[in-house]
Amino acid sequence: MSFKYHWEDFTPGWTYESPGRTLAKEEIVAFAREHDPQRYHTDELAALSSPFGGLIASGWQTGTVAMRLMCDGYLNASSCIGSPGFEEVRFLLPVRPGDTLRYRATVLEARPSSSKPDRGTVKWRWEVLNQSDEIVMSMTGVQFFLRRPD
Amino acid sequence: MTETFKYYFEDFEPGHMTEVKGPTLTKEEIVEFASRFDPQPFHVDEERAKSSIYHGIIASGWHTVSLCMRMICDAYLLDSASMGSSGVDQVRWLIPVRPGDSISLRMTVLETKASRTRPEMGIVRHRWDVFNQNQELVMEMTGIGLYRRRDPAPRGPAG
Repeated sequence: MSFKYHWEDFTPGWTYESPGRTLAKEEIVAFAREHDPQRYHTDELAALSSPFGGLIASGWQTGTVAMRLMCDGYLNASSCIGSPGFEEVRFLLPVRPGDTLRYRATVLEARPSSSKPDRGTVKWRWEVLNQSDEIVMSMTGVQFFLRRPD
Repeated sequence: MTETFKYYFEDFEPGHMTEVKGPTLTKEEIVEFASRFDPQPFHVDEERAKSSIYHGIIASGWHTVSLCMRMICDAYLLDSASMGSSGVDQVRWLIPVRPGDSISLRMTVLETKASRTRPEMGIVRHRWDVFNQNQELVMEMTGIGLYRRRDPAPRGPAG
């Protein structure tokens, strides 16, 4: 298997910014009915009298939009072998029907594995922006990538 | 008329635990979720998953997070005066979730505090542990839940 990107390609400061992805009201309600059926995610009328004043997307839907844009943008062309998790997730602004989201990744640091010479870790900052260039969600995460074969 | 809920901020006390059983995952569900949201080969392609470091299909970590969120909703959140969440401190994927695994949730209240700026709201720090059928911890998450207070805090002398 050959990959476009290996661990060596993700040096600190490397960035990626995705195309936009517009979230329709129907998608917001469908995701929430299955995974996060709080009423301000599923019920347009009830959402009006909620603290958010209208329907908003589940924060985890925003996360999965980022994950998919990441896969399409570079991850599925990479030697990624998984992730131990992520941190510092901030839901900064509500995502509403019709919002167009973009995903931005920045490499914070990259380290070779001390125990496994065929791989390394990359620490990322992941951000989701809306059509007004406001950051709606941010997080930091770690992923493992295989190193480029000699 | 004001809507009432079973749980308000005051009902979350440090040390309090709630447990709920979750679903048993089929391979088809794992592949379907990942095909939509996280189509990495070890989540969607059985052959490539076999030759990966996981030796078979595993669920997307985002799938586990989404299932965790649903168990949170079913266990207590839909009955609570939730005002959303400002964020999650950390998510750790500890053991892969595989087809046939049955998962469950244990929520622990870590700490609670009144909001300094919003007297009608309180802040709860939760820990959410997801286990498989062997009682192995597959994912742990800590984060914030915001809840309306049953009795709003009195205003200080400065108003």
